[in-house]
Amino acid sequence: MPDSGPAVRGLPGAPATAALIAARERDPSRVLVIDSEEGMREGMRRILERRGCAVRIASDGEEALRGLAESPADVALVALSMPGIGGPALTEQLLRRSGGRTVVVITSARASVEAAVEVTRQGAFDFLVKPFSPENLICVVERAAQEAKLIREREKYLSELAGERNLSHQMINSMHEGVVVFNIRREPVLMNPRAEHFLGTHFREGMSLPDLFADLDAAAAIEAVIDSAPDHPECRLIQLNAGERRLQGSISPLLRDGDAGGVIVILSDVTETWKAERDKDRFVSMVAHELKSPLSAIINYLNVILTGMFDDSPAKVREMLERCKVRGEALLDLVRDLLYINSREVGKVERTIEPMDLKAALASQLEFFKVQADKRHIALQLEAPAGPCMVGADRGDLDRIFMNLISNGIKYNREHGSLTVRISEAGPAWEIAFVDTGIGMSDAEQAGVFQEFYRVKNHKTSGITGTGLGLATVRRVLAGYNGRALVQSRPDAGSTFTVTFPREGG
Amino acid sequence: MARILIVDDDTDLLEGQKLFLEKHGYTVQTALTIEDGLARARESAPDMILADLMMEHYDSGFVFCKKVRDLPGLEKVPILMQTAAPRKMGFTFDTGSSPGREWMKVDEVLTKPVPLEHLLGKIEQYLSSKASHA
Repeated sequence: MPDSGPAVRGLPGAPATAALIAARERDPSRVLVIDSEEGMREGMRRILERRGCAVRIASDGEEALRGLAESPADVALVALSMPGIGGPALTEQLLRRSGGRTVVVITSARASVEAAVEVTRQGAFDFLVKPFSPENLICVVERAAQEAKLIREREKYLSELAGERNLSHQMINSMHEGVVVFNIRREPVLMNPRAEHFLGTHFREGMSLPDLFADLDAAAAIEAVIDSAPDHPECRLIQLNAGERRLQGSISPLLRDGDAGGVIVILSDVTETWKAERDKDRFVSMVAHELKSPLSAIINYLNVILTGMFDDSPAKVREMLERCKVRGEALLDLVRDLLYINSREVGKVERTIEPMDLKAALASQLEFFKVQADKRHIALQLEAPAGPCMVGADRGDLDRIFMNLISNGIKYNREHGSLTVRISEAGPAWEIAFVDTGIGMSDAEQAGVFQEFYRVKNHKTSGITGTGLGLATVRRVLAGYNGRALVQSRPDAGSTFTVTFPREGG
Repeated sequence: MARILIVDDDTDLLEGQKLFLEKHGYTVQTALTIEDGLARARESAPDMILADLMMEHYDSGFVFCKKVRDLPGLEKVPILMQTAAPRKMGFTFDTGSSPGREWMKVDEVLTKPVPLEHLLGKIEQYLSSKASHA
């Protein structure tokens, strides 16, 4: 083979600009030359090294494969006929082991079309007929190196693309919101795990819109957005129930190159706010009812009086007016309780936590209620351990809790009964029991006793006024101290309300 | 004279309406609970019933009306419901339509406080139409 090094440098059509040379030096093409003829191998090596290639040589297929295992090659020049592994078999092996990253060029003195076809079928990139000129060799190797570079770039691009797809996939899958994508034929094509969780179903091919959204309004809204004109894309916000959940769905059109491509539905869980709003609505309805009931009774009495039909029985009129007064006062209590609850809820009640003696607080409250108790001959007693019973609390909060429980203990008691308030230690807390001898409650009646506006209604409680907010307030206030309120009761035997309050420092 | 049963958990409302209607010559029975109301309806088969809606439960009145209708002889007794409940509480009172009345088993729903003259007018209206059907 002719060694024509100087000719290479002046090779026309291969502009050896400074930049190109620098690029080659930074990233030389790695060429593996496999030929059993030493002269041929060395000749090719010299030509290519002068051209800036990093050349390695191998005298047979085995050595070539070992070399490839050590470090990769961009181009392999493979002699067609060699002892041991022949050219075609080696081509196949090199391609397989390099994962297609090594571009194979076959060199052969037998310039037959059949041979060329055969090796191309094996995956060879080019065919170089011996003898060849250095220009010829360089030209073919550079084209092969270019191909190798393209292969590497495509691989890199594909792996980046896969990486990005993987990233968006991970983002969609880790979203707190549910994501469902529908194509223009209303078929779900994507669903993240959160959406599957929300809608209680697993994504599979061939699902339909109603499979995911049984709610007719939701399905109609999704269809409307799918059908909306791409130049006037429409977005919709929906709410729907899914099992125990309340979901909000934002539906927006999916555009593909400006054409309608379906919709994306983003689902978020709004159960908590929805429930809070519903509870608030319910509370307002209850308040309206509770305000109207006493007013109705009062207006009813006044109307009866105003008809004049009882003008001749002033005692009866007086009796009705007395009841109007009682109901009016109860109404005022209700409004006060509501205002208190509200100001507490919005944090307007200023609380000062200070060391308080439960015994002293209870004694003063019992003193306050003595007149009311005496009227019905109810004995009030306070039983407590010796020494002060200290808690850290706001005076107003303690008074409100005790006032409600003592007042109930008197209101729902029988004449000549008793109300005993007993303080005792219970681990890290004080336990305060309000034991009455009154009308008591059945198990069913006890169930809702700490709920707002719950009032036990039977012939025994008729005529006893109350706001239905007392015990609910006790529960709310206690919750602020990690305290608890419990009730034990039997009809006609009496009720015991027990309040636990953490001891100071306990 | 016609006998009227009033069922309401508000003693004062019962008392006021009872006094008023008695002065107008009606025989009035009252009950504070639906159980008591049913017992009285069964015993005395009143000519007309006034019932509250929200008693022990928010829909006690409807339960009561349904049970009254199941009593022999009371399938057609006129029932007026009186309620202080806001118009919208999960269901709407639709007594204008016959399916609505049919479902609620009441003839009419009145909002508290019902003016006495209005109540009297309604009672007379239902009793006279009942008499003309009889």
